[in-house]
Amino acid sequence: MAGQMATTKVPEVRDITRIERIGAHSHIRGLGLDDALEPRQVSQGMVGQLASRRAAGVILEMIKDGHIAGRAVLIAGQPGTGKTAIAMGIAQSLGPDTPFTALAGSEIFSLEMSKTEALSQAFRKAIGVRIKEETEIIEGEVVEIQIDRPATGTGAKVGKLTLKTTEMETIYDLGNKMIESLSKEKVQAGDVITIDKATGKISKLGRSFTRARDYDAMGAQTQFVQCPEGELQKRKEVVHTVSLHEIDVINSRTQGFLALFSGDTGEIKSEVREQINAKVSEWREEGKAEIIPGVLFIDEVHMLDMECFSFLNRALESDLSPVLIMATNRGITRIRGTNYQSPHGIPIDLLDRLLIIATSPYTEKETRQILKIRCEEEDVELSEEAHTVLTRIGLETSLRYAIQLISTAGLVCRKRRGTEVQVEDIKRVYSLFLDESRSSQYMKEYQDSFLFNEAQTTQMDTS
Amino acid sequence: MAVQSWAEQLKSSKKTALINSGKRKVHYLFADGKEMAEEYDLKTDDLIVRKWRCKSTLGAQGQWQIEVGESLTAAGASLDSELIKENCSCPVFMRKDTKTSFQWRIRNLPYPKEVFSVSVEPSERCCIIKTSNKKYYKKFSISDLDRCQLPLDCSALSFTHASNTLIISYKKPKEILTLEHELLKELKKLQGTSEGDGDCKTQ
Repeated sequence: MAGQMATTKVPEVRDITRIERIGAHSHIRGLGLDDALEPRQVSQGMVGQLASRRAAGVILEMIKDGHIAGRAVLIAGQPGTGKTAIAMGIAQSLGPDTPFTALAGSEIFSLEMSKTEALSQAFRKAIGVRIKEETEIIEGEVVEIQIDRPATGTGAKVGKLTLKTTEMETIYDLGNKMIESLSKEKVQAGDVITIDKATGKISKLGRSFTRARDYDAMGAQTQFVQCPEGELQKRKEVVHTVSLHEIDVINSRTQGFLALFSGDTGEIKSEVREQINAKVSEWREEGKAEIIPGVLFIDEVHMLDMECFSFLNRALESDLSPVLIMATNRGITRIRGTNYQSPHGIPIDLLDRLLIIATSPYTEKETRQILKIRCEEEDVELSEEAHTVLTRIGLETSLRYAIQLISTAGLVCRKRRGTEVQVEDIKRVYSLFLDESRSSQYMKEYQDSFLFNEAQTTQMDTS
Repeated sequence: MAVQSWAEQLKSSKKTALINSGKRKVHYLFADGKEMAEEYDLKTDDLIVRKWRCKSTLGAQGQWQIEVGESLTAAGASLDSELIKENCSCPVFMRKDTKTSFQWRIRNLPYPKEVFSVSVEPSERCCIIKTSNKKYYKKFSISDLDRCQLPLDCSALSFTHASNTLIISYKKPKEILTLEHELLKELKKLQGTSEGDGDCKTQ
């Protein structure tokens, strides 16, 4: 009997704690605006840049509204002034249902695909279609859930789930993924759940009324529901969001849906796209579908060349176009693919269509704040003096360099068994790693001893 | 009448046929993009398999939905590819027609006959199997009658139970019998015309 009890209980989750890696912008959780779109000085990982954040907030409202298509925004500013951070902030505040596609300007240059094809795919990835589809779901009350682990501790787990309705009862075999998600959701006997058969998504509807007296201690949010009636498997209409690109891929191949996972999609014929557009507008007129214009973010937009810019000009005029956000750190420079100079390396006719948001360098106080946020994000403790020193470094070299020093200094500190990063640790890593200006200083001094120094080119051409 | 409209649809569909391992296999492609495939026994002319496939709303190719006959994947499919699957001890529902009646067999039902009750629900156009011990419940429609828009008749329905299998029979109405007879004659003719298709005989 005791053994029986042990197997029916779902064991605590222990093997699926996901470790998220810390990226350059992982501390950003939104734009940090209040309801009146006024920026708070420090909020949601954002510091300073009040004017540009406010501007981004206005754009965000426009995107959320969803009526205006084909607007473009350019975020321009010096390196390390939070351009990408603002774009990430917009992405975070849009929520999961609005498509946000991010790419770097150089990503579109590929040998397998033409530049304009890559751009149109990116454009269509940023347009979502909310549509009803019929799926098969299993809905029932959990009678018993049994998960057996192999005695050796490794190998596949075996699971069984018994579900019932008021009329019937069925035993299901569980795959490994399903076992994991059942234990993650902490599903136990007496819960009423639905399982999407195609995706395996589990949702708990509540606890069955018949189990109402089982336990006295019950969370306030526990909801009691009736045991479902009729058959366990039902067909139900669910609403979900797919991007236009996904519909393109499904329709451009005979094997259909599988192509989404194989990665290699290749070029999609323009006839297919036209067909899809016609179909989508038909659905929209019939009220079957709703179009959600999302956001396409192109970082390092000066890497695009003249052809891409003229494509963008044209693509922005379509009514199936997302809001385009671009970012660049260039001043007046050559437009790629031409010999003309232009602000931000973008042709004037495209610039004319843009709303431009400027970011400005951070002040000392703001730099200090950002470093503090990053220290929390990277789990490094900084003493007060070390913080001041790091802020100075950030101001005199660059913010990115100062941020790089946080985790390295943290490591040095840990190696000497310290708990808090001191000024010595900062000094140590400052001497170990050169910043950009010290590195170029070094170059100038020792230029003669490097290889290939005869060719005295004036400057590297990166545009 | 509706029988005619279904017969018309069948006639206008694009049909491909081949004979393979003692079975006559016919593939129908309808104007709305739906596909139907049937397999007949060559000797007895019994319908062995009928399955349907249609495209999803987004245009993806769907899976074959078995209407008559046994699904091939049920037996040996591994659990890895699927997230959740019915246990092999669970009842298996399948349709297997005879010449004069539609017949459904549900295996793995180890309960006495008194437990079961089968009824016709004319308003919902379906039949319902119920069990008094609340172990099995199934609602199913007779798609042949739905297609021809013929009424459901509870006197045509009967069921027996033997060796863990529940067998439900529904006597085919006259209209269906004549339609099936016509169709079979048509299909036999079709075989003669498409015999020249080289790519069909490769397997």
